Amino acid sequence: MSPFKHILNLFLATKDRPTPPLKGAVNYLLVCLLVIVVFWVSISALDVSFSFGFVGFYGIRIRDGFILTVQLSVVSLIISLVLGGLVAGGHRSRILPLRYLCDAYVKVIRGTPLIVQIYLFFYIIGTAWGIKNRFIAGVLILSIFEGAYIAEIIRGSFLSLDETQLEAARSVGFTRRQTLRHVILPQMIARTLPALTGQFANVIKDSSLLSIIAVIEMTQTMREISATTFQLFESYILLGALYLCLTLPITFVSRLFEKRFNYARKA
Amino acid sequence: MQRLKRVFFGLLLVSFVISGTGLLSACSAPAGNGAKGDGQSNAEKRTLTVAMELAYPPFETKDATGNPSGLSVDFITEFAKAYNYDIVIENTAWDGLIPSLQTGLADCVISSMTITDARAQQVDFSDPYAVAQLALLTNSGSGISSIDDLNQTGKSIAVKTGSTGDIYATNNLPLTTIIRLADESACVTEVTQGKVDAFIYDQLTIYRNQQNNPDTTTAVFIPFQDPEHWGIAVQKGNSELLAELNEFIATSKTDGTFDRLTQKHLPSEKATFDELGFRWFFDFS
Repeated sequence: MSPFKHILNLFLATKDRPTPPLKGAVNYLLVCLLVIVVFWVSISALDVSFSFGFVGFYGIRIRDGFILTVQLSVVSLIISLVLGGLVAGGHRSRILPLRYLCDAYVKVIRGTPLIVQIYLFFYIIGTAWGIKNRFIAGVLILSIFEGAYIAEIIRGSFLSLDETQLEAARSVGFTRRQTLRHVILPQMIARTLPALTGQFANVIKDSSLLSIIAVIEMTQTMREISATTFQLFESYILLGALYLCLTLPITFVSRLFEKRFNYARKA
Repeated sequence: MQRLKRVFFGLLLVSFVISGTGLLSACSAPAGNGAKGDGQSNAEKRTLTVAMELAYPPFETKDATGNPSGLSVDFITEFAKAYNYDIVIENTAWDGLIPSLQTGLADCVISSMTITDARAQQVDFSDPYAVAQLALLTNSGSGISSIDDLNQTGKSIAVKTGSTGDIYATNNLPLTTIIRLADESACVTEVTQGKVDAFIYDQLTIYRNQQNNPDTTTAVFIPFQDPEHWGIAVQKGNSELLAELNEFIATSKTDGTFDRLTQKHLPSEKATFDELGFRWFFDFS
């Protein structure tokens, strides 16, 4: 093998074999460097200088915003999981009005932008039903929004179950409950968990839109700060970094689940 | 061999990206300098890029076909004509106005922007071309009849994020809960629905929204406030453009330009302001 090929091999994945950690790290570093160079060149083209001095001054507000984003996201995820599960079940209901209600819910929510839902829910439904607290209104809006996506994830994975498995379960004499417990649930968990974990990252990002009804989460905090300091770029760079702090670990966990539950397909 | 080809293309792609960004920086540098205007080609028309938020009728707005229109648009267009500029208007969200000057995306901002110390640290302002004052739009059921009624714990006020109303409330209403929203219509909705007790903004907006919601809202005027001066903002150090703007503003104050623009854009408002004894936007006496 020529030395040129040796160097070349440092940058190539080997077929059917996992990449060695060191090789992976070096290549990842290369990518990061490239991104930084592109970003740096773009910034120097703009001829602006960055100063992050305001971070110390507004530290407490930024921390509060960060905490509120986490709270909003966690509570919304829990409620939307329940809602999504119920809707996915309702989709298979024999009661037609219920089935169509679930269908309409998913179609309307997935078919309209979140910003429309936030304004309409907060100023029309929220006002009519006396939901004054911005945090509660925010959690409800976000849960209803994410619930539709979660319902689709669950429904999709249920549809991917082979019909023959249910027949097999019946033929060995499983009751409905046993079928659910031993055949359906284990596979559903394996198939939905990675996607549901990934959805959590979406909840975190989507929560930023609640800033428009003055829920003082991370994005709203940064908008308020940049409105007084005029340091728009610094504020949004920091904001992006903070969101990555939350979403990257989640993406990582989602990948882990993907590998962990891949046994079904490996066989 | 197949793999070698792939690597080659990969490297090619990377080099394209790098040279591309290099080009980007090379192109944008002279554009930034050109905005300041060079003396050698006076006969040639210069471009004046103006950033404004077209969301504040009748000063900055859009006509039925979506073209920029309004008093500020007419004013800056007349300036451009007088000083031989080709004008390009960039509709920019409020938060992005000052950054667009700092990054050289725009040469000046005319967007009913009040001259404040904090803003003046980021950009240079022209001489004032208008004066405005703040007022309160209160929910009729809130029982608030003065600014002092509002400065109490449990009371809340809506402001547009970063507006002078926001600055006023932050400095003068320490006890009031401040709700910061992105646009005026949301602030007004909060008041009409009683979600907040009041909204603080300029007198004209408050007067108009009170007219639109006579049953639910009341306009409350704030005495003893410093008048706000609106200025045209330019990038720090752009003294050439600033001098031209100041010259044009000074002429416009004396030659009846502002009276003419008032008659075109705000005749009924002028009449009401006179009736109520409010100070008019272009009254510098």
